[in-house]
Amino acid sequence: MMPNLDLSAISPMIFVAVGAILLPLLEVLLARMIERRRSWLGRTVNREMASTAIVIFTVLLLVLALLRTVGTFDLPVAHFNLDHPMIAVDQLTRFLNAVLLISAILTVLVSSRYLADIGMDHGEFYALLLASLLGMMLLGAATDLIMLFLALELMSIPIYALAGFQRSSLKSNESALKYFIIGSFASALLLYGCALLYGATGTVELAEIARGFDPENPLTLLGAALVLVGFAFKIASVPFHQWAPDVYEGAPTTVTGFMATAVKVAAFGALIRVVAVGLQPGAEIMYGVFWWLAVLSMTVGNVMAIIQQNTKRMLAYSSVAHGGYMLVGICVGTQSGYAGLLFYLLVYTFMTIGAFTVLAILTRDGREVSRIDDLAGLHETHPFAAIVMTLCMFSLAGIPPLAGFWGKWYLLTGAVERATAIGDTSLIVLAVVLVMNSAISLAYYLRLPVVMYMREARGADRPDATAGALQTTVLWVCALAIVLIGVVPGDFLILFGDYDLIASARVAASAVSP
Amino acid sequence: MEQILFYVFSGLAILSAIGLLVNVRNTVNAALSLVVCMLSLAVLFIMLHAEFVGVLQVMVYAGAIVVLFLFVVMLLNLRGGNMGAESQPVLKLVGGAVAVGATVKLATLLDRPLKPWADIDPEFGTVAHIGRVFYTDYMLAFQVAGVLLLAGIVAAVILAKREID
Repeated sequence: MMPNLDLSAISPMIFVAVGAILLPLLEVLLARMIERRRSWLGRTVNREMASTAIVIFTVLLLVLALLRTVGTFDLPVAHFNLDHPMIAVDQLTRFLNAVLLISAILTVLVSSRYLADIGMDHGEFYALLLASLLGMMLLGAATDLIMLFLALELMSIPIYALAGFQRSSLKSNESALKYFIIGSFASALLLYGCALLYGATGTVELAEIARGFDPENPLTLLGAALVLVGFAFKIASVPFHQWAPDVYEGAPTTVTGFMATAVKVAAFGALIRVVAVGLQPGAEIMYGVFWWLAVLSMTVGNVMAIIQQNTKRMLAYSSVAHGGYMLVGICVGTQSGYAGLLFYLLVYTFMTIGAFTVLAILTRDGREVSRIDDLAGLHETHPFAAIVMTLCMFSLAGIPPLAGFWGKWYLLTGAVERATAIGDTSLIVLAVVLVMNSAISLAYYLRLPVVMYMREARGADRPDATAGALQTTVLWVCALAIVLIGVVPGDFLILFGDYDLIASARVAASAVSP
Repeated sequence: MEQILFYVFSGLAILSAIGLLVNVRNTVNAALSLVVCMLSLAVLFIMLHAEFVGVLQVMVYAGAIVVLFLFVVMLLNLRGGNMGAESQPVLKLVGGAVAVGATVKLATLLDRPLKPWADIDPEFGTVAHIGRVFYTDYMLAFQVAGVLLLAGIVAAVILAKREID
């Protein structure tokens, strides 16, 4: 009767879950110690020590989870519950988890100082972040619609609260409320889609759904369509993107960085699994949908980004456009398409977190840099931040030899390969649209370096802020990652030895490819 | 007998759902229509031998959620008139068209025979069965739901607490 469980399969997720459960308790304990003026190691406990302890605990758990994930990357597929697997811990899951954990670690490192700057230095922030991260890790692993939905909610609900974490800011409140309402709406659509798919096929397991998938049955099609719309909302692809600029603008900057990267990584991971496994028999019908989503997201995202005056709104539209680039990988639908998408997700994480980190550094006493023009003369006041911001912008625009270029390159080669293999011109059109959009995006990505380097700092409305040591570390990590991945995209040298990122993305993609 | 009950309660469910829409200016009436709708659905579930879902329907929807609605209505003192006043006629028209279209489409779907399912165990859907699979097959989902509830509580506290030190 006892289920046959394998805890080691999900050990990285257990680390994260332990953090999510223990952090609120730790916060209460530390608050008590501060209140009663308890001393520890001969010093009276104060708020600063408490938040340091919390950050160390969080980062320790995340690093352990990351080491474990990377260390087990080559192991065969593992399941938590062998009798009834609801999640598959395969290469795809491990790849996604590694990217998610990197995003979370960087976010935590930036946040400790940033939270103090906006006056919201509370341990619950990290608890919610870890709970959301757990949901994301499960989302990429889910092979069952029930798990998929639960993981999606576990990812989203803490993020809604994090978006409204800066309680004194009206914009933050607006952001949380908007995200909550739109997000719940999207979840409801996705859930309805799951219910219809269950009704049509009689199962919630993705592999079984593929077996029972009848493209002639309107019930199946409606279910699939609603599931896809739910995902389209989560990845903010046009026309389901309207919430993104407001939410990204209002949320605390480090949360925006996490939202823009990790939510995309998890949602795209789950989308790959759903599309390549569960809805595989309907691939031809869905191709048209994804094609239009990709073209619209790229074009509308980039054109709208040009006219933005607010840095965060501009990055929001840029993230919509990048969602469009990634959808090209889904359209291609082969192993190299998915591998390109996974590689892009990794690269995109470093570029975007880097950009948002610079914005987080420039925040002081709740005041932040909002307009792009307020970045004028940044190279005089914050030379290193200006360099990293420039690198991120060049990389996001896809200028060789930075990492972003290779992300686009692998997506493009995937599309062209597939197009020549099956003689399909629509994929070529898609590739051309991608290239054209990269050109359009230069218009706004280059604007930031121009403002930072060619305009006087005088007149810029910018609080007098300095970077914390941890924040500078994050800048270094992002800058090095962008340059190193760019210089040696194949054999990426990281701490663990020679590591071929493209090959890993290929292996991860092959976990689901037919 | 079963047929009569089915028609009575499904009719009641549809009527109360319409009542919910019509009563948009009187929020308390709308909430009570919702109760009737949920209770009728609960009866339908029980007639389908999904007793557990039926009981949950009564406890969670008719009970907790509608009570929450009523509390919000009373605490915020929502009066008719300011609700739905800002909605634009074009949006109403589009929304209505989509709703009618979706209903017609779904209704025509019912002509098609649904895929016959494998023989269902008479145990399926009973409380004992659900309890068993909850702690065995769906162990992970159960645990994840627990973390989700915890995260929800932490989120609510951090957003709603009057003063944080």
